[in-house]
Amino acid sequence: MKNETRANLIKQGAIWAFILVELAFFSIAGEFLSVTETAFMDFDNMLLLLKQSAPIGIIALGMTIIMINGNIDLSVGATFALAAIVLLDSMTWPFMQTLGNWAIPLAWLFALATGVVLGAISGLIVWKTGVDAFIVTLGSMLGYRGLVFMYNGEQPTSHLNWTLVDFAEAQFLGLHTATWFLLGAAILLWLLMTRTVHGRNAYAIGNNRDAAVNAGIRVGPHFLWNFMLIGFLAALSAVVFYSESGSVNPNDGMLYELWAITAVVLGGTKLSGGYGSIISTLGGVIAIQLLRKGLGHIGADTETVNLVIGLILIAVLFLDRQLNRKGKEELRT
Amino acid sequence: MKISTKFALVCSTAMLGTAAFGEAHSSYTIGITQNNVGVDSYQTTYEQAFIAAAEENDAVEVVVLDAGGDVARQIAQMEDLIQQEVDAIIIWPTNGEAVIPAVRKASQADIPVIVTNSNIAEQGFDFVASFSGPDNITQGARSAEIMCDRFKAQGIEGEAQIVQISGQPGYTTAIERAKGFEDRLPEVCPDVTLVETQPGDWNREKSQQVMEAFLVKYDDIDGVYAGDDNMGVGALNAAKAAGRAGDITFVGATNFAVGYEAMAAGEYWGSIYQSPVDDAEAALQTAIDVLDGKDVPFLNYFDTPKITQDNMDEFTKPVF
Repeated sequence: MKNETRANLIKQGAIWAFILVELAFFSIAGEFLSVTETAFMDFDNMLLLLKQSAPIGIIALGMTIIMINGNIDLSVGATFALAAIVLLDSMTWPFMQTLGNWAIPLAWLFALATGVVLGAISGLIVWKTGVDAFIVTLGSMLGYRGLVFMYNGEQPTSHLNWTLVDFAEAQFLGLHTATWFLLGAAILLWLLMTRTVHGRNAYAIGNNRDAAVNAGIRVGPHFLWNFMLIGFLAALSAVVFYSESGSVNPNDGMLYELWAITAVVLGGTKLSGGYGSIISTLGGVIAIQLLRKGLGHIGADTETVNLVIGLILIAVLFLDRQLNRKGKEELRT
Repeated sequence: MKISTKFALVCSTAMLGTAAFGEAHSSYTIGITQNNVGVDSYQTTYEQAFIAAAEENDAVEVVVLDAGGDVARQIAQMEDLIQQEVDAIIIWPTNGEAVIPAVRKASQADIPVIVTNSNIAEQGFDFVASFSGPDNITQGARSAEIMCDRFKAQGIEGEAQIVQISGQPGYTTAIERAKGFEDRLPEVCPDVTLVETQPGDWNREKSQQVMEAFLVKYDDIDGVYAGDDNMGVGALNAAKAAGRAGDITFVGATNFAVGYEAMAAGEYWGSIYQSPVDDAEAALQTAIDVLDGKDVPFLNYFDTPKITQDNMDEFTKPVF
């Protein structure tokens, strides 16, 4: 038992150790390679890092729960885009324009409801048909993206509201609005996963679905709730991000599902389910954004960033496997 | 002894000071965030040309970033460049409206922003130092001149009938090219009639269908103006299939490799040559001029010359 907790600590600490290595590397490399004078470890830069982690981060938090269940949700990027369209377009509806600034919270509500509904559709199909979530959400990813394109063709949907932008750009106690949402969501979900029955059930289902069913956990509704939750979070991510940018391209959010999954896996959550942690996912998200930022800081191009993240992902999975194997060997002796 | 040490210290400090001062002012740091390098060869060539131009110029250092088509990433890159306190930022917008708040942030930080290739929406103009890119109105007007000159050479400028295939509705580029063409044509060839305009959505297959419909509808078509060569070649294919390509003058805007090849084959008459190298060099030069405090026009266009079968040897084949 003691061994296990220690192994857990090492696993959960790994991502944070990795972040420290990244910070050290980019600080030192930045001294030589960066053309700018400002240091990478600048406090403002670190605040920006958190803020920039928010769009994918908020989605990745939800993805952690889905993956602890042993499921996956590929439709989050499309949900993100559709919620963004609802957010921005609803503000141009005639009755909304008569409301003045009260239209803003209402538009948020519409967008978040869109996310919940889209998540519920995926969740219901998974529940009622028993088809694997990978296939179901692959379908809904294509379907929702189709809806995005049907809405406004190839053209961006735009509505720039400076009140909204000012709110999104605001800094409260030094942290940006987006950061507050990211950290708030992380704390709430961490509490959900560690302090509630729903959280314990999520791990139980991921570990062994049959056993969970036999133990009386209603797996179908449980999945439905989680898909609604991730739909909500994808929409929340859109709300936070598009409040600040005011225009959505029809292909926005593409590949976000994969970035979110990457962050979750980097954070040590098992693809097969049953194991994972919200806080470690937060680490994974920060690690990815640090890489993007850092490689940009030392002058590497985007392709390099993707290559490096890909390599690190494989390395992490390999290390994880080795660590697990070692753990088992130790137990046997 | 003591005094001389002090004096030496003062001297060296002063020298250090001037050295730092000199360094800070002899060199500009310019950051660029591009739309999506690698998605097409225009953007790839643009990036290479930009880096090459920066390397040749000792007075600038550049931070070259690429948003990969992702608005969120581009906004993050803008924030990073602001945070790094670069002297100027060049942006190729992934979305002409979504980046406006980020551009405002840069302008609030007193960093001049130069928009390259395609402009941001009007609400953001207040926060932009200059736009460097092609002038689509002139491109359209020049296409009209190419068309008219060709009709004059054929002696049909008094009765020629033409059709237009425009770009995607709503796109500024499409609207401006059509406007430039439609305004200029009656000035140079008042008796040429534009019988119909239909959008081809920048798409070759769509344009081919549009042209097929035109060919059925009109027995006499002397010229086709397309918003870019991709669409022009689509129209050419339709005319070839109907056996009527020989009677028709095809003129595009933005010369693509397919258009260049069709020109070399003698099937396609002319277009407008827009070089990504010129585009990139113009953007960098605009940024430097802004930093030097020169008077830079808000819309700082680079030249996009006419290209026809007659003068195509002067141009290399486009890479895209």
